[in-house]
Amino acid sequence: MEINRINRRDFLRIAGAGAAGLVVVACAPAAPAAPGAAAPAEGAAPAQGKVTLRVQGDPDNEAPIAGPFQEQNPNIELEFIAVTGIDHEETAAKLLSMIAAGQTIDFGYSATEALQLYAGQGLAAPLDEWVQRDSAELAEYFSDVHPSLIQAMMYEGSIYELPFDFNAANMYYNTQLYQENGLEHPAPGWTKDDFLSNATAITKKDDTGRTTVFGYGWTNRLWGSWMPWIFVNGGNLFNQEEAPGGEWLWGTFYKDDPAAQGRGGGYRWQTPTANAPEVVEALQFVYDLTANGIAPTIDLGGGQSLQGFFADNKLGMTPAGGFWAGGLANAGFPNGSFDVQLFPAWKNQRHQFGTGGQWIAAASEHQEEAWKYSKYRISKEGMGLWYGANGIITTPSRRSMLTAEAFAETGPEHWEVFYSTLDDHPDTAPIPAPPISNPMTTLFTNYTGRAMAGEMSPQQAMDALQQELVDLVERSQDIMYPQS
Amino acid sequence: MATTTVSSAGSTSLSDKGTLGRYIRYNSGRWLLILGLFAFSVLMVAPLVWTISTSLRTPAQSFSLPPKWLPTDWAFENYSQVFEQIPFFREILNSFIVTISTVVGQLITASMAGYAFARLSFPGKNALFWLVMATLMIPLQATIIPVFILISRFGLSDTLASLILPALPTAFGTFLLRQYFMQIPKEFEEVALVDGANQFIIFLRVYLPLVAPGLAVLAVLAFNGTWNEFYRPLVFLITDTNFTIPLGLNDLKGYMMTGSISVVLAGVVLSLIPVVIVYLFGQRYLMEGIMMGGLKG
Amino acid sequence: MQATAVPAPKRSGPVAWLMQDTLTGMARRRALMGYLFVLPTILGIVIFTAGPVLASFGLSFFRWNVFRPPAFLGLENYVRMFNDGRVAVGFWNSARFVVMAISLQIIIALLLALALRQKMATWMRYYFRTAFLLPFLLSGAATGIVLAYMLHTEFGVVNYYLRMIGLPTVAWLNSSGTVLYTIVLVSLWQSVGFTMVIMMGGLSNISPEVLDAAEVDGARGWTWLWNIVLPMLSPTILFAAVIGVIGGLQIFDQPYVMTRGGPGDASRTVVMTLYETAFKNQEIGYASAIAVLLFIIIMIVTATQFILSKKWVFYN
Repeated sequence: MEINRINRRDFLRIAGAGAAGLVVVACAPAAPAAPGAAAPAEGAAPAQGKVTLRVQGDPDNEAPIAGPFQEQNPNIELEFIAVTGIDHEETAAKLLSMIAAGQTIDFGYSATEALQLYAGQGLAAPLDEWVQRDSAELAEYFSDVHPSLIQAMMYEGSIYELPFDFNAANMYYNTQLYQENGLEHPAPGWTKDDFLSNATAITKKDDTGRTTVFGYGWTNRLWGSWMPWIFVNGGNLFNQEEAPGGEWLWGTFYKDDPAAQGRGGGYRWQTPTANAPEVVEALQFVYDLTANGIAPTIDLGGGQSLQGFFADNKLGMTPAGGFWAGGLANAGFPNGSFDVQLFPAWKNQRHQFGTGGQWIAAASEHQEEAWKYSKYRISKEGMGLWYGANGIITTPSRRSMLTAEAFAETGPEHWEVFYSTLDDHPDTAPIPAPPISNPMTTLFTNYTGRAMAGEMSPQQAMDALQQELVDLVERSQDIMYPQS
Repeated sequence: MATTTVSSAGSTSLSDKGTLGRYIRYNSGRWLLILGLFAFSVLMVAPLVWTISTSLRTPAQSFSLPPKWLPTDWAFENYSQVFEQIPFFREILNSFIVTISTVVGQLITASMAGYAFARLSFPGKNALFWLVMATLMIPLQATIIPVFILISRFGLSDTLASLILPALPTAFGTFLLRQYFMQIPKEFEEVALVDGANQFIIFLRVYLPLVAPGLAVLAVLAFNGTWNEFYRPLVFLITDTNFTIPLGLNDLKGYMMTGSISVVLAGVVLSLIPVVIVYLFGQRYLMEGIMMGGLKG
Repeated sequence: MQATAVPAPKRSGPVAWLMQDTLTGMARRRALMGYLFVLPTILGIVIFTAGPVLASFGLSFFRWNVFRPPAFLGLENYVRMFNDGRVAVGFWNSARFVVMAISLQIIIALLLALALRQKMATWMRYYFRTAFLLPFLLSGAATGIVLAYMLHTEFGVVNYYLRMIGLPTVAWLNSSGTVLYTIVLVSLWQSVGFTMVIMMGGLSNISPEVLDAAEVDGARGWTWLWNIVLPMLSPTILFAAVIGVIGGLQIFDQPYVMTRGGPGDASRTVVMTLYETAFKNQEIGYASAIAVLLFIIIMIVTATQFILSKKWVFYN
């Protein structure tokens, strides 16, 4: 409803500016369209007491939990809207277009990247009241989920999503290439130098000095590109600050958990640190890998090449999370042909992750029903059904679900690494995802590309990135952290 | 490539003294030319062959060198994967609905407007024609924001109508068909007028059949352009059951690029089949239409 | 509408006015039919093109991110735009792309069309025409996927063959200096066949006597091409150029799929900048300002193209 009011105001303002008279009036955003679109469902609702929830999700993936949920809640209909994209920015762009078009959803799915944008812009409703009300029921869930994931879903002291899955950037390796070169499964505390010597050992060149087998490869994006190197080198794109608040949650659910000590009410990323020495050094490191033929040139469009190389024994290692195991298994990569270890340590061994979950639309008229579905989706039963049917195509947020049995079919052998990233490394943190994460990501990949193409030195690229981020933050003050 | 064709094209036209010498020269030049064209055709077709053969490889084989041009694994499961991963038939159906509506709609609006601009006189005609010409080159991306808002206001966001409706008026089609109508000698109309036919009948019975080749050109171009359109669907369509097929192909790449290139290329091959069929049926008309010579500025 | 332009009738109803069985009555009926016939197109263009152009102009004075009420900025978006190197690069890349793609396409297509005029078996002519036209059937997005895969720097087929014949390999998509040329080649591969068909149409309209007479007269090679073929083909070339500008300005699918505009901004066209600004970054107002500049430039190009065409295009 809030959105509708805004739209009507736009309409008046633009029309008032008299820029283009009639045409602009005709083009002003659709205020009446939104209720209109939802009308049939609402109209039917009072008569039968039925409520239709518009849920962002893939109908095929959601089917295993939708069925049982509807059996238990015959008054709730679920309508799935599959908003797809090949990366997080594309999905978010589509969802925002949808909302801009006046279409409503009751229940959305988003990863860390968009949480602060949706929360900060008032699209998502804080879940605090429901969480507090149903705390007895939820205690089991929270005890099963690492506090890092929870904190990543908080914004300015309130929680907006209950994490359903996560992916931390670990190191995958090709077991055949490891064996051929006499390499062992790395120790959890392996270092950047161990990594470099393994990568060098795997790399094979022909007579002309051209690489035929690469030790390492990565994709140019935000999560898990060269970002893990920034983290282990003690850097970040933005200074990661703790937002105040959240004591209510930590005190209720994580009283006895040392990993929850001192956590705040979410994060704030407001000061860019893109040209800090640690960041530049990390970029220089990955640049050298490519320059020395240890890593291939960086795929810009995402041509599926890394997976192909990996599967064809042309690539030794790459940063990826639990989702990659499912992807490799889908590609016909047999269990045992790949394995995973923690990301190597440099100045520290701080990992990064992205997590995903459901948010309830602030404009939804069926928030109570949406909350019901939200709880079911993260319940032991709900998550069990979902992963049972879909397989491990992403890493479950519940510790108890990462079991030998779950990974028996796809691998990797050392699946414990996934949750160990959180349990054994309390400093593991989300990728930087301020409300401006979309333009931030575009700039990040832009300057990464320039540096990797040799158009700019790592220092020049990061200086320029820093300048652009500073400008971006300055002109986006209205959506950054208004409360701070 | 280019230089081979030039020199050989030139040499066939050069006549030297001496019949035998000329004969040999002529024929060797001709064979060189054909050889050149053949080599060029290999370059043109190779990526398509590569697409088909990779679509039948296992993902693990898809990057192996040296390249194998014939399918080795016959991995037809790539094709079944396409149907599992995206609502393929639904998306093909959507593409057909959008494409056929757009083609038919453009033929109607453009033939009417093209006829009016070429053959009817009415006050303000020139001004209106210049309005059409002025919008001819505006890329659709440049107007997409207001069009998107407009579509939303009509409640058409995430519907196939959002693609069809704005595509019905076509400055290009109007311009193209106007050229064809202008080429038809006035005498046809005069004969019909003497017979007492009214203007609308003249348009329908006399002119329209005469510009059939022009309609064929527009139809084939509109079919090709709409079937393959990526940008507006990317912006307007949100849910995958409403997608047209190019967006479906994009989805096959998988979230975080976990899809396999072989499966993506299997999707490319599948999506190409309808266009190839249309082309095979339509190419005679396309060539006729183009030979008739409406294509000029 | 017609009342303002056509002299008003004297004391008769509109139907009577139209139905007058006189020459002026007929002219009026024709005029009315003219308006009716152009109505769908004109209305459509006003609603979906001309209107949005004006609306973009209006939106360009605001900061608007969809969620919040738009804030009036005055000319701030324009000031920012003229200081934004990325926007300038987008325009520059689009311009370079259009010029390179059009000239290469027209030249190669013309040569192919001339070559296919030579004597050869019917099946050969049919094969060549089909082979050259086939890539045109592929979508831009699919073309991008296929060719990015073949042009991969390390494991692509193209570099494999370059290596085999002893040539240096090319970082087709990974080098800032090369990437735009690669996109030009990709679009050339896709549409040269269609441009060739247009050229064949143009050639078929020149009487064979004119083309062949020139040969007998001893006009040779380039002279023949330059003095006989080109002038007679100029309307067709103009048409191909118009189509080329329309298509070239819209180039989005291939770079979006192959490079996302990179490395850096090296393959970012102005319409990609527009898309990202509006739909990824939700800066609707700023994107509108870029669109306005694009309109102005396109108007200038369109006008120039048609003024120039009057000077050098040869109509028989």
